[in-house]
Amino acid sequence: MAYAALVLACGVTLWSAGDLNLGRNPWPNLARTLADFAHPSFLDAWWGNPRLEYRSEDGTLLRVEDRRVVERSFLLALARGCWVTLQIATLGSLLAALMALPLALLAARNLGAPRPLAMAARAVLGAARAVHTLVFGLLLVGIVGLGPMAGILAIALHSMGTSGKLQAEAIEALDMAAVDAVRATGAGPLQVFFHGVWPAVLPQWLGSHLYVWEFNIRDSTVLGLIGAGGLGLLISEATSLFQWARLATLLIAVVLLVAAFDALSRHLRQRLL
Amino acid sequence: MSAVNAMSAVQIDGLQVAAGGRVLLQVDHLRVAPGERVVVVGPNGAGKSTLLRCLSGFAVPSSGRVEVLSRTLAPQALSSPALRALRADVGQVLQGLHLVARLTVLQNTLVGALGRLQGAPAVRSWWHRFPPAEVDAAQQALQAVGLAGRADDRVDRLSGGERQKVAMARLLLQRPLLVLADEPTASLDPAAAQAACALLRQAAESATLISIVHDPALVPLLGSRVLGLRGGLIVFDGPALALDAAVLSGLYGPETAPGAG
Repeated sequence: MAYAALVLACGVTLWSAGDLNLGRNPWPNLARTLADFAHPSFLDAWWGNPRLEYRSEDGTLLRVEDRRVVERSFLLALARGCWVTLQIATLGSLLAALMALPLALLAARNLGAPRPLAMAARAVLGAARAVHTLVFGLLLVGIVGLGPMAGILAIALHSMGTSGKLQAEAIEALDMAAVDAVRATGAGPLQVFFHGVWPAVLPQWLGSHLYVWEFNIRDSTVLGLIGAGGLGLLISEATSLFQWARLATLLIAVVLLVAAFDALSRHLRQRLL
Repeated sequence: MSAVNAMSAVQIDGLQVAAGGRVLLQVDHLRVAPGERVVVVGPNGAGKSTLLRCLSGFAVPSSGRVEVLSRTLAPQALSSPALRALRADVGQVLQGLHLVARLTVLQNTLVGALGRLQGAPAVRSWWHRFPPAEVDAAQQALQAVGLAGRADDRVDRLSGGERQKVAMARLLLQRPLLVLADEPTASLDPAAAQAACALLRQAAESATLISIVHDPALVPLLGSRVLGLRGGLIVFDGPALALDAAVLSGLYGPETAPGAG
């Protein structure tokens, strides 16, 4: 009931603000975009026009370009973009998992960390999760400048929240009796961690790390939009120049990248758990 | 050892453990001499496990005095290092054994040595590197319990009886002065339970042994003195031979029956 009322309220306010329409001529726009998408630009690298002539209004020849050469250099840039995206996601996720571990140990309700510390750790993890990667990215671009480093740190800060929550849950699902048995031998806190906690949470830790990593591959493809490097930079270029054919190429690359990584992580998960 | 021998292994005075407004355990006076073999019996919820947890510092009494191996656990709580030093001397076999599932048989056995490692060996133990002497001792302990060939198997691939043996090997390696065993034979078949009791006696050969069991048939295997608990009170304290049907029905019977002893 409350949900239906909420949906209704959303619809009515949108309509009364005059935003409930699809623009002036959606169908021709859609048709044009689809036509461009149907011919992704990477095909030009092999079958492109070798002598594309650009002429001004009065017919003078402005310049001639070989579409094949242009597209091949674009594909090279695309490959570099994919690599930077992978770099950002990989290093960012690893940094996130490492930063999250001590916080997760404090935040887990069953390990008995001092209350103020546990609350602080949970607050930090919650805040990190609440702020989107893109927002962290915008902040960090202002601090460390344009480039992949801003992306890595943005991913690390946001994913620290997700990763920490998953890790804390893994620790909370732990067999505490086994941990107590290690503690009962007079082992110190770090010995208890390495003999009782770590071996038991390792599979979940790896599983959550893979999940966050996978997620970040997707997330880091858009980080370039705000100047944090990677594929997003090319995407923002293509969209601002209305080069839908190139955008099609880029999206195909993103889908392939994500699908390849998903398959890889599924494979790893089966091997590790 | 001689200093410990001169005193009690366990000395309790005016102990009370309460949780949520309910008294779980009340022991006015209890003394266990070094080397004594004590079996604790009683129905579920009688406070048996709570008594054992007080002796290892896992439960904190609301009031009273607890001394274990001439170290005072209550009313003043021990500092963390002192508590760890005490626990290194107190071997525990808990209900359900509690091995670390993803570690191997040998690694689980070596957990028994953690408490006595100091300095660099303690740090090296973080990545499961132990002094060769400890590894040899662990192998001997596994030999003693009959698991010599299984050292590198993960414990979650073992049967219940084999896990029991790993817990015993861990206890053997720990070489404690006081052994606390909370239903060490739970979920074992009768033959395996008898074998487990024999191993437990072996592990506690030169130590004091306090164990909790439910099966009256196992009582004479584990001790000569019996403590009967009911409703958080010690209602029977006598030789194992005196534990007859009347005493047992007093312990486990309906609430209205008068407690024995």
